Amino acid sequence: MATVTVFIDEKPYEVPAGMNLVQAVKEFADTDVPVFCYHPKMKPVGMCRMCLVELGTPMHDRATGEAVMENGQPKIGWNPKLQTACTSNVSEGLRVRTSSALVEDGRKNIVEFLLSSHPLDCPICDKGGECPLQNLTMEHGAGTSRMMFEDKIHLDKHVPLGDLIYLDEERCIQCGRCVRFQDEVVGDPVLGFHERGRTLQIVTVSDPPFDTYFSGNTTDICPVGALTTSDFRFGARPWELTNVPTICPHCPVGCNITASTRLDREAGGKTIIKRMMPRQNEAVNEIWMCDKGRFGHHFTRSQDRLMQPMIRRAGGAQMLSNWGEVLTAAAQAIKGAEGSVAALAGSGISNEDGYLLRQVVTAAGGVRLGMWKPTHAGAEIVAQVGVAVGTNLGELSGTRDKDGNIVEYDAILVIASDLEEEAPIWRLRVKQAADRGARVIVANARPTRMDDFASGTFRYDVGNAASTFAHGQVRDDLAKARNLVIIAGAEGLTLEGSHALMQAAADFLTQTGHVGKVNNGLMATFPGANWMGLSYLGFTPQATHEIAANPPKVLIVAQADVLYDDPTAAEWLSKVETVISLSLFPDELTTHAAVALPVQSFAERDGSFTNGERRVQRFYTAHNPLGEALPMWTALSRILERVNDARPKLSAAAVMLEMTSAIPAFAGSRYTELSKVVRQSPDVGGTDMYYGGTAYKNTGGLGVQIASAAESGSALASGVTMVDVETTAVNVASGEVLIIPTTTLYNREQTFRPSAENLMELRVPAPFVEVNAADAEKYAIADGDMVEISANGMSVRAKAHVNGAAPQGTILLPRNLAETASPMMITAGTIAKVIEMVTA
Amino acid sequence: MNIIFREVDIPNIHELDVYVQNGGYAALKKAVGMTRADVINEVKASNLRGRGGAGFPTGVKWSFIPQDNPINYVVVNADESETGTFKDRQIMENNPHQLIEGALICAYAIKAAAVYIYIRGEYWDVGDSLEQAIADAQAQHYIGDGIFGSEFSCPVYVHLGAGAYICGEESALLESLEGKLGQPRVRPPFPANKGGGLYGEPTVINNVETLANVPYIIANGAAEYKKMGTEGSTGTKIFCLSGHVEKPGNYELEFGKSTLRDLIYTQGGGIKGGRQIKGILPSGGSGPVIRVNGNDDAILDTPLTYEDLQKTGSILGSASVIIMDETVDMTWVASKVTKFFSHESCGKCTPCREGTYWLDKTIDRIMMGVAKPSDVDLIHNVANNMKGVTLCALGEFAANPILFTIKHFPEDFQAHVNGVQQPIATTAPQRGARTTTAATVAAPGGD
Amino acid sequence: MLRDKYAEQIDATFAKYPTKRSAVMPLLYLAQQAYGWVNQQGIDEVAALCDLDPTQVKSIAGFYTMYSEKPKGKYWLHVCTDLACALCGADEFYESLKEYLHADADGNSDDGLFTVEHVMCLGACDRAPMMQCNFHFHENLNLDKAQALVEGWRQESLTSPE
Ligand SMILES: Cc1cc2nc3c(=O)[nH]c(=O)nc-3n(C[C@H](O)[C@H](O)[C@H](O)COP(=O)(O)O)c2cc1C
Ligand code: SF4
Ligand code: FES
Repeated sequence: MATVTVFIDEKPYEVPAGMNLVQAVKEFADTDVPVFCYHPKMKPVGMCRMCLVELGTPMHDRATGEAVMENGQPKIGWNPKLQTACTSNVSEGLRVRTSSALVEDGRKNIVEFLLSSHPLDCPICDKGGECPLQNLTMEHGAGTSRMMFEDKIHLDKHVPLGDLIYLDEERCIQCGRCVRFQDEVVGDPVLGFHERGRTLQIVTVSDPPFDTYFSGNTTDICPVGALTTSDFRFGARPWELTNVPTICPHCPVGCNITASTRLDREAGGKTIIKRMMPRQNEAVNEIWMCDKGRFGHHFTRSQDRLMQPMIRRAGGAQMLSNWGEVLTAAAQAIKGAEGSVAALAGSGISNEDGYLLRQVVTAAGGVRLGMWKPTHAGAEIVAQVGVAVGTNLGELSGTRDKDGNIVEYDAILVIASDLEEEAPIWRLRVKQAADRGARVIVANARPTRMDDFASGTFRYDVGNAASTFAHGQVRDDLAKARNLVIIAGAEGLTLEGSHALMQAAADFLTQTGHVGKVNNGLMATFPGANWMGLSYLGFTPQATHEIAANPPKVLIVAQADVLYDDPTAAEWLSKVETVISLSLFPDELTTHAAVALPVQSFAERDGSFTNGERRVQRFYTAHNPLGEALPMWTALSRILERVNDARPKLSAAAVMLEMTSAIPAFAGSRYTELSKVVRQSPDVGGTDMYYGGTAYKNTGGLGVQIASAAESGSALASGVTMVDVETTAVNVASGEVLIIPTTTLYNREQTFRPSAENLMELRVPAPFVEVNAADAEKYAIADGDMVEISANGMSVRAKAHVNGAAPQGTILLPRNLAETASPMMITAGTIAKVIEMVTA
Repeated sequence: MNIIFREVDIPNIHELDVYVQNGGYAALKKAVGMTRADVINEVKASNLRGRGGAGFPTGVKWSFIPQDNPINYVVVNADESETGTFKDRQIMENNPHQLIEGALICAYAIKAAAVYIYIRGEYWDVGDSLEQAIADAQAQHYIGDGIFGSEFSCPVYVHLGAGAYICGEESALLESLEGKLGQPRVRPPFPANKGGGLYGEPTVINNVETLANVPYIIANGAAEYKKMGTEGSTGTKIFCLSGHVEKPGNYELEFGKSTLRDLIYTQGGGIKGGRQIKGILPSGGSGPVIRVNGNDDAILDTPLTYEDLQKTGSILGSASVIIMDETVDMTWVASKVTKFFSHESCGKCTPCREGTYWLDKTIDRIMMGVAKPSDVDLIHNVANNMKGVTLCALGEFAANPILFTIKHFPEDFQAHVNGVQQPIATTAPQRGARTTTAATVAAPGGD
Repeated sequence: MLRDKYAEQIDATFAKYPTKRSAVMPLLYLAQQAYGWVNQQGIDEVAALCDLDPTQVKSIAGFYTMYSEKPKGKYWLHVCTDLACALCGADEFYESLKEYLHADADGNSDDGLFTVEHVMCLGACDRAPMMQCNFHFHENLNLDKAQALVEGWRQESLTSPE
């Protein structure tokens, strides 16, 4: 990259040409230019005028263009007016004074102007303690106010912008960060300025109002306490909080986040999580997180958690027990199974948990390691042609000529996925890539939100996702790309269909030379935080389907809500002699189980997840365990001791250490490696807190990405021919429809239910099903009708949305919204309007 | 002489055929026969300076437009919202085709894809009549495809604002035209640059009066035009005379040929009721006020040019000359103008948004007589702190009334903070339609 | 629906600009004309027409003074009380007009037919005092002339209710 020499407070620095001046000063001169409206993730607007500096440039002779010299030195023309650094970029020979008397005076005046109408409620303000305005007032402020108190403007202090975000109009300093975030970064311009001059205020009149999946981020970047979340507002003062680095447990993105904890009276003096905030990892989530991660942490301290081991006594009743008893009972059952032992791993359990689960099964002579929910195939293909190490969606873009036409572009294909619902931050970053000129193609059998941000969309016949790669135009567009990333889901596909898609994607990437190099390759929206990690440990969805087909004597179910996820589970589970359940909640399954072992959530212990980009990332203990719950790996290692007197595992770190030699994929994942951090650009950490609170600084580690086989040059999955669509299709009898299970970000899964049922109840959709207009007519269903959907024995009720979303002959039925299980895999079934019985 | 207000000599020149009979659109015809560069050079040579306030050389501005760029725009600034300004309205009402012709010549010179005339919303009726004029010109093929058999084709559109002074600021105007809040843009890039103009394309923005000068320059040549006025101020200028004068109205005067005194006493019929003059705002609310110690003050002999008014410590600006007589409390004037700016601040940048509000609150207290002497220092200091740090010039404008009134009329401020209330004098509503005032314009000097 | 009511105007407006967004101000005038003021209904329709979010349209409506975000009388009287006019008695003129109309704090006449407000310079400084009625100029006024106009409009509204 070309660099230029700039002189910051007289000292020379080599800086990338064209770099924003505020960033250059911060990252190279290690001092800072105070800002309010500027944010490195958004276009500069020069509104607040806080970043005033003195600027000088080398003078040039008008006629000759020669640099004017003055006793051997280039003569500098200093701009008589103070300039805003945020709207300036570095250029050769630029001179900057960041702290001259003139500059200090200018800043003092700007702060005074801001305070002239700012309330004096720092003592009760959520931002107090991590507020740029408060800090800069201390640094540059005048101390006393010259504004007559009665002249101050008084405005509404509790304006709900949505049901999660509140606005204090008096505190707002009109920096527009929130407005610009929603417009530029998210693409949902539901916040705006209203009126003008001193009455300028933030409003929304959208319907729904400020209700996007990313709303919480505005409270981080708001430089004052004007925006607060209904979860945290008045909850605690920043300086009382202990910030614990952790990883969001909800989806494959694996956002790096910070749990701000405190000893809390409500929790009987125990530490609890008061809020979740993003933690910078430019390669993963930059400085963003979605509202599910931010507000979906309440399950870790839910009083409904399974607190104590349980055991089924003679006569079938589940009774409270103690660890010694249940561990022995579990070990005996396993030993007595003559190798007919299998496991189902919920895709949200940690690498360490998965490793011990695998050990227990193999120690007992078992082989089948099932992944839950078994909806997506092809993790092993991702292991081969997955995005290369160092890949960063934040780098994908297009190059424009001087007329702004794109001449060279990176491409992203989003296929068979409703990305906003399955991996919100990927959707955010892909949208950004599109804005930077990357070519984003969205292929699906039906429209999704991602279409709004796509440069092209492609509709394939239901079940036939792989055919996308047979389409000339799409092929060309993608093949020509400088770099190509494919993000695949499995929506509307059988497991074979999903595999066919992953295979076809791998073939295409290999044939077009888009594997084994940075910013190229495959990734998938596998459900859960650790699908890839478990895949490296040998867990597969195919094994799950085999287990269901012929159940083992002993089945260990590790944090998988099998009965709620799969309507057919009750039937095949009943054939299992002994179910050993390791669970967060006393769910239906624990009542089936011979023993139920309470395990700790991610917040109560150390561990690691491997995200969809194959990045192994570490999380740390945030608060004490509930009841007698143990880390899953501990419980399992105690069982193992009893099965083959293995040596006890002493810590999560020790487990990972063992894995580094036992499992090649994890060779580089020692905790010391996982917790390494380097300075990132843009630099948003530091004490200034200009860009968002105390939690951004990444002290927990950036994680380690597992190399794909393609990088290490070993055999590729290429050459396997596309699986014939017929074999993946589902037969639909007449009078039946094809039920396509879909995903909604907010649902009633165990790890979200506690938040869903109080804080966010208004935002979690009631059970609904999307029906094509033609089918609606065929089955006499009107928009808004309550309908019953039935398939192989089960049935659920949902509200019908008659719209253009569902392809004819199919219905879109989101998983995990109803009280009882709805179809987990695509299947044929019937839909009918519910006739309410009028009882006389 | 009137090269803009030609209705004074030629009745009904607002009608297309009358305009054409009197040489209308001949300049456009001539222009499309010239090379683009020649047109621009002619305007450069004329030293025509922008009439919108900044006084920037028009030809130079046109020459900034990259010739190789496929799409450029011409935007006519008809937002005319400066306190005491009403000249562009009269041009559009009485001589619309001369504006249209000037705009089209500019469009040809910079290869524009379209001309947008941004009229303040309150000129609703003016907008209608202008659209009619455009339709007429279109029907006669002065606007549209292949004008005068040339390659040159360019539509002309009228866009109504909706009540915001800031939309007169060129970059805010562009934002507004794009359907956004009328808030100024960060510059660079400037409107003439790629990425800085309308829809991101290079754009020339000129005031109505500026463009109305162009047909004369092309028709008669820069040399002929420069015979009018002085070296630094060529041509004529329309002065909007209002306030305490007997005959307020628009007066088109040749630069340098007359003085403030001529304007106020010869043209304007002198101060109402024969009273003494106390102050002049030569450039509406935004320019520095001039102190005049009665009708004999020598400052009244300042010639009307950009350079000479500069010497008085004020500016010519948009030449909206507001006259205050001896009965006027200048603190009240400052408070009126301050209110204007706090009402019109767009709110985008801190010093202007907060400063205008603060100034307004403080001067209110001063007017109410409840302020302390120290409040005069405060308001002066606050105004000072706004200078030089705002996103656009409105912030600068807003500080002027306070700074210069305190500078030139300290006694008026002191009177208030010492508890003495001055009566706010105004005279009775006065009559006289503009047409009559315009008709009485004598051609001073020259031919 | 604006679309049906002003189909031609709307198409003509869109034809003027390369982007739909540029049409937002002209269309807001249509909405105001149709509903008497810029209500949520109007906001939503304009937003749909211009492919904008309603909040973006609300922003525009709030920024510019000529869009009214609350119901007003059939006749909007805007009296300029800015400096040049004030020097010629505009403040007194405005006060006396309000009195004559028995206008409340919001400037609404007791019969609800008129809304009188004072505004900044309207570019008629040489014809003060002046006012605009529904954005049409009425200049060189005094209270008698203004009263005559007001009564004229009263009559008009009786003969043509809409
Ligand atoms: C706050 C502000 C208001 C302005 N209002 C107007 C206006 O109403 N009409 C105008 O022609 N120029 C106005 N200007 C000047 C324009 O920004 C611009 O300089 C001018 O239109 C350029 O045209 P000209 O070179 O022909 O004068 C204003 C400038 C500022 C800073
Ligand atoms: S609410 Fe916060 S982020 Fe939004 S404009 Fe106000 S201060 Fe800026
Ligand atoms: S103006 Fe530069 S940070 Fe706000």
